[in-house]
Amino acid sequence: MKSLIRTGIALACIAAVCTVIAQTAPAPAAGTRPAPGAAGAPAGPDLSKRLARAADRIASIDAEATRVDDYNQIRNLQGVYGFYQDEALWDQVVDLFTNDASLEIGSSGIFNGRESVRRYFLGLTGGKQGLARGQLNIQSQLSPVITLSPDGQSAEGRWRVIIQEGTFGQSANWGSGVYENRYVKQNGVWKIRQMHFYVRFFAPYEGGWTRTTAALNERYGKSTAKADQPGGRYETYPARQVAPMHYGKLDYSAYKLASDDSAKAAEPTAAAPRNVATLEAQVRALELKLQRLKSVDEVENLQSSYGYYADMSMQDATSALFTENSSLEILGRGVFLGSDRIYEYMRRLGAPTNGRLFTHMQIQPVINISADGTRANERARLFEMFGVNNSQAQVAEGTYENRFVLENGVWKYQTLNGYQTFYTDYEQGWAKHSVPLMSYFNGYPPDLPHSVEYEPFPAVFVAPFHYRNPVSGR
Amino acid sequence: MNRQIPLIVGVVLLSLAARSAEPIVSDSRLITDDRRLQILEAKLASLQREVNLIEDRKAVERLQQLWGHYVSEGMATEAAALFSSSPVASIEYAQQGVYLGRARIEAFLKAGGARLQSGELRETPVMQAVVHVAPDGQTAKGRWRSLVMGGVHGQDGTWQEGPYENEYVKEKGVWRIARLHWYMTVNGSYDKGWHKQSYPATGPLKELPPDQPPSVVYQSFPSFFLPPFHFLHPVTGMPVAWDDTSGGDAR
Repeated sequence: MKSLIRTGIALACIAAVCTVIAQTAPAPAAGTRPAPGAAGAPAGPDLSKRLARAADRIASIDAEATRVDDYNQIRNLQGVYGFYQDEALWDQVVDLFTNDASLEIGSSGIFNGRESVRRYFLGLTGGKQGLARGQLNIQSQLSPVITLSPDGQSAEGRWRVIIQEGTFGQSANWGSGVYENRYVKQNGVWKIRQMHFYVRFFAPYEGGWTRTTAALNERYGKSTAKADQPGGRYETYPARQVAPMHYGKLDYSAYKLASDDSAKAAEPTAAAPRNVATLEAQVRALELKLQRLKSVDEVENLQSSYGYYADMSMQDATSALFTENSSLEILGRGVFLGSDRIYEYMRRLGAPTNGRLFTHMQIQPVINISADGTRANERARLFEMFGVNNSQAQVAEGTYENRFVLENGVWKYQTLNGYQTFYTDYEQGWAKHSVPLMSYFNGYPPDLPHSVEYEPFPAVFVAPFHYRNPVSGR
Repeated sequence: MNRQIPLIVGVVLLSLAARSAEPIVSDSRLITDDRRLQILEAKLASLQREVNLIEDRKAVERLQQLWGHYVSEGMATEAAALFSSSPVASIEYAQQGVYLGRARIEAFLKAGGARLQSGELRETPVMQAVVHVAPDGQTAKGRWRSLVMGGVHGQDGTWQEGPYENEYVKEKGVWRIARLHWYMTVNGSYDKGWHKQSYPATGPLKELPPDQPPSVVYQSFPSFFLPPFHFLHPVTGMPVAWDDTSGGDAR
């Protein structure tokens, strides 16, 4: 009797273990289902046509999605260029150019080929990589008009730029201009083929753009390197010259993001699809691709919203953009953990009042979505205008490295990192005044100390990048 | 008990092996290929609509950026051509009132909004997009901002800044601007700074009175004014505005 009971218990245990193991068996991997056996007869003629049409439709949607991705990659590329250029990281900058690239910046003349392009950039900083202490070289990349070729292998882009340049203790300049660039896709990676920057003005801080002259404007982008051929002669403000637009003046309507050729340009399916399972797997991949493209837009909307709410001291609204398990580190205030602490932090900044300006422009977003579509990283720039009426005004620049997470279909901030580049008293400018790193609030310590020790301008600090060089992987 | 241990171990090992083998049956007799294909075709129709909307957002961004470049170059005719052909297409800058229809929009841009007479500057980059395309892909709304470096050569320059709340419409497959409303919330002197010398948001053009008065009356810095959002809070889905009485903004 006892042995029967023991056998029964043992068999019950075995059955339980087998059940648990069977329930945790993974589902068959996508696309690895065996071909239909007796249950699925070879596809009849009706199904064959529908399979072929579905395959074509998948290819055409995929081609349209690829063109949107190309647009985003080019937008990122110019932003990536800008962030490297700001820090005079010339090797990184030059990696972004094709072998046969050409460059013309202001009145620099024309540089042909990547090694010439390298000479040009090195010639801006006396042959050295990186900024020296006291140097500021910001060029915000703004206002993209991106036009893809019908075959999706090349593109043109027009950008506007705001320049903040200077040497601490010596000089500061505001500048503005336009890029008309050409890009090309090589081995699936976008690169800069032609860079042409037209200076609008480059004016000393004292006096500003309305007191500039052609001679002052011509100072911008002067390299010690010798050009390969002379460049064009270009008028600058106050004279008027329009940097030629790569798009037709009144014919923009001829451009559609989804080229009519895009479906034809898509790779034809290698063979007629064998079964529905193959197409189902392709559709799942396409769904993820579209979701990741939508996510770029949603993350951009999210970060822009943050800026608009912050302008108006809407602290409830800003803190509600964060996930519960989030963190925030702004300037040198230390790290604040969790949405409750972030709410408290924001609340301490105070309600808006008449006479106060707190503009937080969020510009130059470089957004990357993780492969599984659930996380995002963004590098962006802050341009701040601060003011207390009849009292003081400041101009400020910063760099964001933010992380976002997709939670129940909604994108939220996971981490906001705002690094202080400079805050300057408007009446003095960045040549004369730069606020030291703004550190812990009195009587309101953070949850964690600074994650990185650094000093703002005039010291040189490169905020860590979330990405490797998109062309060279450096 | 000793005899049963190897038995238990053996069965556990066999179960583990079974976990990694190919399934014995694959396609269900209940879901035919025809039905699976039907579901797939419906999904593809939905994905086509989705990719169209994603493209629409890029097209709206491109349209809006064309605007900024034309205005910066004083190209009023080209800027006006970006607008819808509707007679109620409109433009409204600062406190200058509303102009209706392309002809009037062009007249306003030539007289003020995009005028670049000798020595004038109006650098107008457009930044910080919050764009929403309607599900039917026929209309869209966008909030942006411009920081305008302006002035007349030889005189004190100006800083102007503020958000747009714009509306767009698709006409014959091409996106156009239906309404452009730029709120000038900062207007200040370059030499003195906005804290020492601010100006009111620009008022109506005497030589070209508007078709309608300003849709919203407000004052720029140093007065506090929140240009209303076209969108709900992206996380909470609540409207976002300042509640004057409690001093707290909606979450």
